[in-house]
Amino acid sequence: MNERSVVGKPLPRVDGKAKLTGRAKFTTDVVLPGMLHAKLLRSPLPHAKIRSIDTSKAEKLPGVMAVITGKDTWGIRYGFVDTPNYPAEERPIAEDKVRFIGETVAAVAAIDPDTAEDALDLIEVDYDPLPPIFDPEEAMKDGAPQIHGEITRNTSCAWEDWGVARKSHSYTPVNNVAARVLVTYGDVEKGFAEADYIREDRSRSPGTSHMAMEPHTMVASWDPFEQKLDVWMNHMAWELKRYWLHKTLDIPLPKIRIHKTYIGGAFGGKAPCFDYEVICAFLSRKLCKPIKIELTREEVFSSCRNSHRFDISIKTGVKKDGTIVAQHCNVIVDAGAYKCSAPVAMFLSHGMCDCCLDRKNVRHEGVAVYTNKNFNFARRGHGAPQMRLAADGQYDQICEDLGLDPVEFLTKNLRKKGDVIPNGDRLDSYGLPEAIKKSAEAIKWKEKRGKQRDKNRGVGIGINGMFSGSGYWPFACTAIIRLNHDGTITLIEGDCEFGQGPDTTYSQIAAEALGLTIEDVTLVSSDSELCPMNYSNFLSGGMFVGGGAVYNAAIDLREKLLKVASEVMRAKPEDIELKDKKAFLKSNPKRAYTFTEIQRYHIQKHLGDPLFGIGYKKAVPEIEFYPSLSKGTGRFTDAYGFTASTAEVEVDRETGRIRVLKIVVAEDSGYEINTAVCRGQLVSQAVQGMSDALFEEIMDDEGRVLNPNLVDYEIPRAFDVPEIEIIDCSDFEPKGPWGAKEIGECARAAVISAVVNAVYDATGVRVMRIPVTPERMFNALKAQEKK
Amino acid sequence: MDSSKKTINVKVNGEPYEVSIKPKMTLLQLLRNELGLTGTKQACMDNSCGACTVIVNKMAVKACSVLAMQVNGKEVTTVEGLASKDGKLSILQEAFLEHSAFQCGFCSPGKLMSSTAMLEELENPTEEDIRRDMEGNLCRCTGYVQYLEAIKEVVRQRKEGSK
Repeated sequence: MNERSVVGKPLPRVDGKAKLTGRAKFTTDVVLPGMLHAKLLRSPLPHAKIRSIDTSKAEKLPGVMAVITGKDTWGIRYGFVDTPNYPAEERPIAEDKVRFIGETVAAVAAIDPDTAEDALDLIEVDYDPLPPIFDPEEAMKDGAPQIHGEITRNTSCAWEDWGVARKSHSYTPVNNVAARVLVTYGDVEKGFAEADYIREDRSRSPGTSHMAMEPHTMVASWDPFEQKLDVWMNHMAWELKRYWLHKTLDIPLPKIRIHKTYIGGAFGGKAPCFDYEVICAFLSRKLCKPIKIELTREEVFSSCRNSHRFDISIKTGVKKDGTIVAQHCNVIVDAGAYKCSAPVAMFLSHGMCDCCLDRKNVRHEGVAVYTNKNFNFARRGHGAPQMRLAADGQYDQICEDLGLDPVEFLTKNLRKKGDVIPNGDRLDSYGLPEAIKKSAEAIKWKEKRGKQRDKNRGVGIGINGMFSGSGYWPFACTAIIRLNHDGTITLIEGDCEFGQGPDTTYSQIAAEALGLTIEDVTLVSSDSELCPMNYSNFLSGGMFVGGGAVYNAAIDLREKLLKVASEVMRAKPEDIELKDKKAFLKSNPKRAYTFTEIQRYHIQKHLGDPLFGIGYKKAVPEIEFYPSLSKGTGRFTDAYGFTASTAEVEVDRETGRIRVLKIVVAEDSGYEINTAVCRGQLVSQAVQGMSDALFEEIMDDEGRVLNPNLVDYEIPRAFDVPEIEIIDCSDFEPKGPWGAKEIGECARAAVISAVVNAVYDATGVRVMRIPVTPERMFNALKAQEKK
Repeated sequence: MDSSKKTINVKVNGEPYEVSIKPKMTLLQLLRNELGLTGTKQACMDNSCGACTVIVNKMAVKACSVLAMQVNGKEVTTVEGLASKDGKLSILQEAFLEHSAFQCGFCSPGKLMSSTAMLEELENPTEEDIRRDMEGNLCRCTGYVQYLEAIKEVVRQRKEGSK
């Protein structure tokens, strides 16, 4: 296993031929015999009581098979967070009240989508409007309209089977506060007292859309004889979705099968439980027919999860030389109508960022606030991009104020490899210092920083750190490898393929360990009935946890093979090598036995064929249940990925238009299993980060989304993409498979800060509200001229 | 037969079809729902993303914005028609595979069709030509870079081949 022949290479992806010939099955492509189509009636009001709903006309429309309202699903509750302190409050269909424009109030199943759509127009809902509230800071004031009354735990999807305590209590949110977090360490007051210079700043990151290309879709098919539900759906971890369907509809877990489909992009936006999923399964069971729900692009924008708007106040104290001595962050998260992942987001805005720099004395306060808007979930970084913008923008300004260089400032405050950070995580791999150095060199930092303002050009830098999976219970995976009779293997693992490449990279991990090629691997993945436990594909745990389980399974099979081979060959296992479906003596490669022969021997001598490899991996083995979200104590992750990004921009002072000339992403993602897949992840984040900095914002007026389509919600097109340079600064991660760790989420945040800081360097004007649209830039430049 | 329906004749991926359809049916609906060719994707339904791009008589069009009636008597090529029937990928598909020019794969069929038409039309496209062609095809995963590289490689190989 010295020289690596399968991992570390840009091998073509195993899902390529299916995806490039149109044969890859996505959920939208699933058609079943007798399938009906369902459409959802959405609330036109942001906040209102439902007096009554009359569905009689819709029910009489020919072709309509069923109409359901909140009365049918009354009492069903679910949520991404459902713990004793934060019981779930989401519901599939509004009951007596609507809380945002776009909330589902009824659903129709019909013979085709047009009939279902026509029937929606015939449903009469009598609303009693209530005063709405849209701004989180206004919503927290005394006297503001209250969006939720008492939240009781009637049904739940708490993870009690997995260790979350059963004891729970009802609670009534006060001043629309959905959740709070407070993390402290060190002595913040003492730290500020020792500081030579203190700055306070505010920033805002808007709500954005994940904008996965495949609109959210589900097909459910209930078998009344077996009492079983077959499902094809958009997801990022079928274990979660299956658990939610089990809890909300009271169907036993083994009686729900989520079939493998390819997922047309996710970026966080397909992980939580959605109303349409519960409704789809509910209708299928009610009618004993397959049901398809395919959301429109407008519904994806206005009724599916977007990313959280964050308003952050940050106060930092530094010494004259730039050493950070204290920091106090106040984070306001706009949860929207239901809390969903908001309690996690405000905690993660600390958790993910604490690994980068040593800030010594920290106080991180967060509050998640209900508003009458569509609610939100993680998007690629979950809280980190918003926090890094606030921090890295402020550091940039502190350097300006004190005459320091931002690259030197960051370097001075770095943590060290091997450090144990305040929550107990140890930085076994820490490529951030090298990433900062190399990203600065690649953009020609020394030559350019502060020297191109006459040309309206500037450079900026941003950094970030990201978990490789976390202790969110039960964050663990199992993988099974079968040795086939011809010496090839079948890898059975649960991870789902939404573009990030696990089908390919996991096959590489297993092949490498057994001396095989990637063509020798048959893959069974992402099917809840065929695959063992898999919770890994969020918080960037895919490679580290899912890939780690595959690695452990492959090593298990390798050791078994070596043991049997040593019996056959009368040699020590350490003297035997595995290659080309053979075991041979290292000293005499001609003395070889094929895997088939070894297996035959094993059946003869050991009464059967147990040459299976089994591997397990848990994100943070020390976490027995789940970490405290409200206090942020305890371990977060076993390995962090790191990024430093630099960017160069040019600003047109006449129009406010910003052109990005170059983005550099220097990344420590551990050992790269597939270098082409890794590069794809980083380029992707460079473009998304640039887009966040300059383009993307969900615009709303009185709770109505104003840009719910791909014309008005701008994402980069081919001409917008600048030169992008990717630099591998990987540090070997001892706990990762072949040394690999996180790569999918870290870079986006660093790129946002780099672009925004570069805009400052080009103009001398700091805009701390993204996206920095031409209008915002132009107005900021005009305000500068007036001064 | 439903009197509101019209009959059209269309050749799709070389095979002739006679289908009876409602006049308001789009080409995208014809392909996906009537002919079962689900390789062509629906992502926006308002002509803005390009995921449903197919080739009609050598021209790349967005199938969500063309009525099925408009392809009466024409030849349509979809992503299913690019590779040979015995499993050989087209040069462009091969390049996409080699360059990892896709991730989730949902926009890839549209991109393949649009670029295939562009490569037929332009003998020696410049980077600007390629980017202009790509403008109509949104991609959220790749950031377009590896996609651009794949097409440039095809152009380069073609130039070498013609020498």
